[in-house]
Amino acid sequence: MSGEPVTRMFFREAVKRAVEEEMTRDARIFVLGQDVGAFGGSYREFDGLFARFGPERMRDTPVAEAASIGIAAGAAAAGYRPLAVITYMDFLMLGFDALINYAAKLRYKTAGALTAPMVVKTTAGAQGQGVAHSQCIEAWLMSVPGLKVVAPSTPADAYGLMKTALRSDGPVVYIDHKRLFPTPGDVPEAETLVPFGQAAIRRAGTDVSVICHGYMVRIALAAADLLEPEGISCEVIDLRTLAPMDVATLAASVERTGRLLTLEEGQITCGVGVEVATRIFDRIGVRPWARIGALPAPVSSNPVLEAACVPDADRVARAIRTLAAG
Amino acid sequence: MIYQLSVPAAVPGVEEIRILEWHGEPGAAFESGDMIVELETHKAVVEVRAGQSGVLRAILAEAGDWREVGVRLALFSDNADEDMPAADAVSDDLVVDFEVT
Repeated sequence: MSGEPVTRMFFREAVKRAVEEEMTRDARIFVLGQDVGAFGGSYREFDGLFARFGPERMRDTPVAEAASIGIAAGAAAAGYRPLAVITYMDFLMLGFDALINYAAKLRYKTAGALTAPMVVKTTAGAQGQGVAHSQCIEAWLMSVPGLKVVAPSTPADAYGLMKTALRSDGPVVYIDHKRLFPTPGDVPEAETLVPFGQAAIRRAGTDVSVICHGYMVRIALAAADLLEPEGISCEVIDLRTLAPMDVATLAASVERTGRLLTLEEGQITCGVGVEVATRIFDRIGVRPWARIGALPAPVSSNPVLEAACVPDADRVARAIRTLAAG
Repeated sequence: MIYQLSVPAAVPGVEEIRILEWHGEPGAAFESGDMIVELETHKAVVEVRAGQSGVLRAILAEAGDWREVGVRLALFSDNADEDMPAADAVSDDLVVDFEVT
């Protein structure tokens, strides 16, 4: 977007702008979830939309995630385009039946007669809130045929991916991250959609490809800064869309650098990194690969234990040194 | 004596803020406890109040501008007629209180 006029804004403002533009464009879109009404969203990401669109289209729900996602799935099948908001990704589990058994399979089950054009927006990641408010379970979702999974790491992508999600015909899970919210970023002033299935090279490099998403992009970039003075050049790739996955961009990068580090905040067992590596190696053959993720333990609300569990730049840099030396 | 006001590290995790509103023009006198400026983070407003009396001499970032934590926002002096130093001169930090709402 070089040369294009941009406005600097918070993550929440980028989400709000996308939702407001799309709700203006398409009267079938409505929002439901805890505190999405007069309160303006748990993270203030819907500030002002209740005043503009009213209680019919900004619907507060009780603490009832299964019902919220179920209602969204039914409304989607009936022709609406709901955006269901689940404050913590951990509680997305309560809505899995409607999301996975119903919404993700509706098109297949009805031979295309029905679709479920719904978006579930939820927030992942560790930030001092303990075992059941910190998880990153996006890898579980990637294994569901029919489900799209996106995870913006910048306000520009938060804006552009939300717009694409709200125009998508399949169920989409849109995952943001608590630790990204304090960081502003430049968003194009012109209406801009970010298409699904396009990864972004955030930093070009020659020695190792670091493939990650969400908040871990910032960790990868910090690790790349640590390694640069040592003569290790990291290419950092932001998946942006986990399903569908931009395997062409990922494989081309690993073919250039010859080494792969996958990085995620969730568990590495059956994780995003395993899928990334497998898809790349299917295409170009096996290359040296290491994977980093949370330690195999719940994320504690104790800040020392939380920091020990989730990846940080030092841990990533150590793994890359080992990989680059091999 | 000249003092500087910089963006305080008021909210954990916040590296950059947006200036919401100044409560005074250059030349305005402040007493301890007076609101100087409101700063906006992703979820809170940081009210910055003077912790000492002084005169606001120069505003270096306008409402709507973004500044990183630690960056200088304004200059103050004890008296209205003190000579201003060169722009990059090191100044003592103004004593402030801030409240996050």
